[in-house]
Amino acid sequence: MDVSQYLEIFIDETSEHIQSLSDNIMALESDPENKDVVNEIFRAAHSLKGMAGTMGFKRMQHMTHDMENVFQEVRNDTIKVDSNMIDLLFQCLDAIEGYLAIIKETSDEGTNDNEAIIRQLNGFLQSAESASASNSAASAPASAAPAEEASEEEEKKFLTLELDAKDKKKLQDEFLTGKPIYGMTVYICNDCLLKAARAFLVFKAVEEFAEILVYEPSSQDIEDEKFENDFSIFFTTDEALDKVVAAAKAVSEIRDVTAEVITEKFLDESGAEASPVEEKSVQEAPAVPAETTPVKPAASAASNAAVPKKQAGKPVTSRTVRVDIEKLDALMNQVSELIIAKNSLVSLSSNSGAGAQNQSFQEQIEYLERITTGLHESVMKVRMVPIESVVNKFPRMIRDLSRNLNKKMELIMSGEETELDRTVVDQIGDPLQHLLRNSADHGLESAALRKERGKPETGTITLKAFQEGNNVIIEVGDDGNGIDTEAVKQKAIDRGIITAEQAENLSQKEIIDFLFMPSFSMAKKITDISGRGVGLDVVKSNIEALGGDVEVKSVYGEGSIFTVRLPLTLAIIQALMVIIGDEKYAIALGSIVSIEDIPITDIKYVEAKEVINMRGTVIPIIRLNQLLDIAPPEEEQESLTIVIISKGEKQVGLVVDDLMGQQEIVIKSLGSFIDNSTKIISGATILGDGEVALILDVNTLM
Amino acid sequence: MAAYIEANSNDVAEEKKQFIAVKLTSEVYGIDIGYVDTIVRMQKITRVPKAQSYFKGVINLRGEIVPVMSIRLKMGFADDVFTNASRIIILKIEDQGKLGVIVDEVKEVVNLGEGEIDKPSHDTKENKHSFINGIGKNGEDLISLFDINALTEEN
Repeated sequence: MDVSQYLEIFIDETSEHIQSLSDNIMALESDPENKDVVNEIFRAAHSLKGMAGTMGFKRMQHMTHDMENVFQEVRNDTIKVDSNMIDLLFQCLDAIEGYLAIIKETSDEGTNDNEAIIRQLNGFLQSAESASASNSAASAPASAAPAEEASEEEEKKFLTLELDAKDKKKLQDEFLTGKPIYGMTVYICNDCLLKAARAFLVFKAVEEFAEILVYEPSSQDIEDEKFENDFSIFFTTDEALDKVVAAAKAVSEIRDVTAEVITEKFLDESGAEASPVEEKSVQEAPAVPAETTPVKPAASAASNAAVPKKQAGKPVTSRTVRVDIEKLDALMNQVSELIIAKNSLVSLSSNSGAGAQNQSFQEQIEYLERITTGLHESVMKVRMVPIESVVNKFPRMIRDLSRNLNKKMELIMSGEETELDRTVVDQIGDPLQHLLRNSADHGLESAALRKERGKPETGTITLKAFQEGNNVIIEVGDDGNGIDTEAVKQKAIDRGIITAEQAENLSQKEIIDFLFMPSFSMAKKITDISGRGVGLDVVKSNIEALGGDVEVKSVYGEGSIFTVRLPLTLAIIQALMVIIGDEKYAIALGSIVSIEDIPITDIKYVEAKEVINMRGTVIPIIRLNQLLDIAPPEEEQESLTIVIISKGEKQVGLVVDDLMGQQEIVIKSLGSFIDNSTKIISGATILGDGEVALILDVNTLM
Repeated sequence: MAAYIEANSNDVAEEKKQFIAVKLTSEVYGIDIGYVDTIVRMQKITRVPKAQSYFKGVINLRGEIVPVMSIRLKMGFADDVFTNASRIIILKIEDQGKLGVIVDEVKEVVNLGEGEIDKPSHDTKENKHSFINGIGKNGEDLISLFDINALTEEN
């Protein structure tokens, strides 16, 4: 059976189930008695098992199967959830994720059996079973009775089969060779749709270990699905029976498998009563009567699994389509091309004189503009995904960190639904993880110190995401130690980056910026004065590569907040085109507050820097011609055109020579050849007339 | 005629390399044709502030932004003087994308066999020699062959 075509769906869905398991196990840890959560976990494990089985990933299936069994017992109240179990469950999750990672790369699950984990899982099971056997000896048989009755006739069906003479002869011959012959009956779930396929998989699984001698019904009947929900196999093997049964059971949608050694007596009087020599099953439990065990858990598991599926109040049918990101990229590129073409039409129409005959042409151009803008917005929305997919792994990470570091901490997240371009979301995970680790490891103080400072013992780490204009802000904060700026300053002096005198004049921000210097953070790591600064340079460069930036606010003793600012989209923005000298530049509209005409006499000086007073706010101004090495206008004007831009609470005025107007621009990279280490230019765009204009990154100007 | 054909087939057997011969100042240089994507006429170059001095800026190459470098400035010669003969040769560099280089004039395509390429003399320590990885003999003329990687790398 070729399942490779389902591999992508399998990977997607498995990831979703793993996430759901992770969330629910976290929930279970805080509320071990919550039956809904237990059911949810059971369901997720069961689905995983089914999917892994269908895809033929036996190891993964084995593990999820055992997880499912453990939860079965939790549901039955025979096992209590404790922290050991939670730890183990997380180990299972990691192992499953490990399988998935290998599957993603090689389409195969690899060879790691994770035996230790499985042994531990079974340890839980055994303790549960012995417990249930001893303390509910009376109730167990009672509850098991109906199942037993129903299954009585089903069980060991192979013993009552009427074999034809030829098959019987074959078995007898084989028996004479002295090899043990086993009989096996396989029961398929009642709601199974592909019985023949399942049967085929069982045969394949059994054949791996054993030589199949006789089976019932005939292969033709099995192929045509001309059988009820069971079929029987007679085989011989050198392997342990357990192994064969397990292999058969590993096929999904198999309700149960019974098997035992065939005696001579059976062969002599096939169809008559036969006494089993030995009964085995995967889920055997010595303390419980042998006959009931194989059927009970599996059968009830199957029925329980079927019922919640229908009841689960999860999304009914989500009306979505999974689309390859590459197709979206192609679509986005085409929209970009269209917008460039539209822009050149616009510039043609405005250059060719506004005659009366141009009236309808102008109207059509405007219509076209509306359409392309709408198209662009739609494509952008399609590409947007909530950051949830990235941040939802963090609670688990913080939990693990809490254990490893032996500090109590909790993570409070908000704004997980905030959306960002898919490409940004894919790459924001690592930097955020780094910041959170930083907060947990270095930000939060030890319990003793927290007590001394009068803080609650449990440290709080926050992750807050929200949209602000054309940007998405993600804040990672903690109520920990904060940055010891004095220590950082001292470090900078020690390392010869600044002199002691220079250090005196540094603002807090300038000092904190040292933490983002590559070599600086390394030194901090070794000496570990205040702890901050491990790998922050990497965080900064990663975020800047996405067109964003990162800032820190910190109060020593009270905590720190890292603010990550990311552009909403990478490809197309609305921009204000400005002229400086004879060059054209684009400024993202999202960061512009207003455009002012300021008489030259209104310019004041503060600390030898030009500022303007705008309705009570003092705003520093930057002469773009100086910044961009452009010759200033020859004659001094009487007033200046100033574009006020903002980043957070900060505002800066940019002096430009002239305004061209608003335009939708397609952002293109400058490539890797040109040195752009000052980062003043964030990219380039092609104007309607084919000319290239550069895009100013105003964030770097603040 | 027969001799010509024979010589030609020898060329193939010998696997001659093709170079674009370009003029820069008074010298002729060769650029391995394997690196050449296309050759365009001089057009408006948008200056990029704060870029390396030898980068003239970026151009719009059929909707693509391509940086343009002055080989003259990179090699320490006098600045380019744009004429009707000036061209921008667009190079395709693996993993780094396209890069335009300005030349005074594109002369011809020359075929050079192994035997016609000498190693450059390294007795002078002048900067420009580090951009040359061979001297081609095209009949009477000598062509300095650019080491494209050295030319496009940061100093």
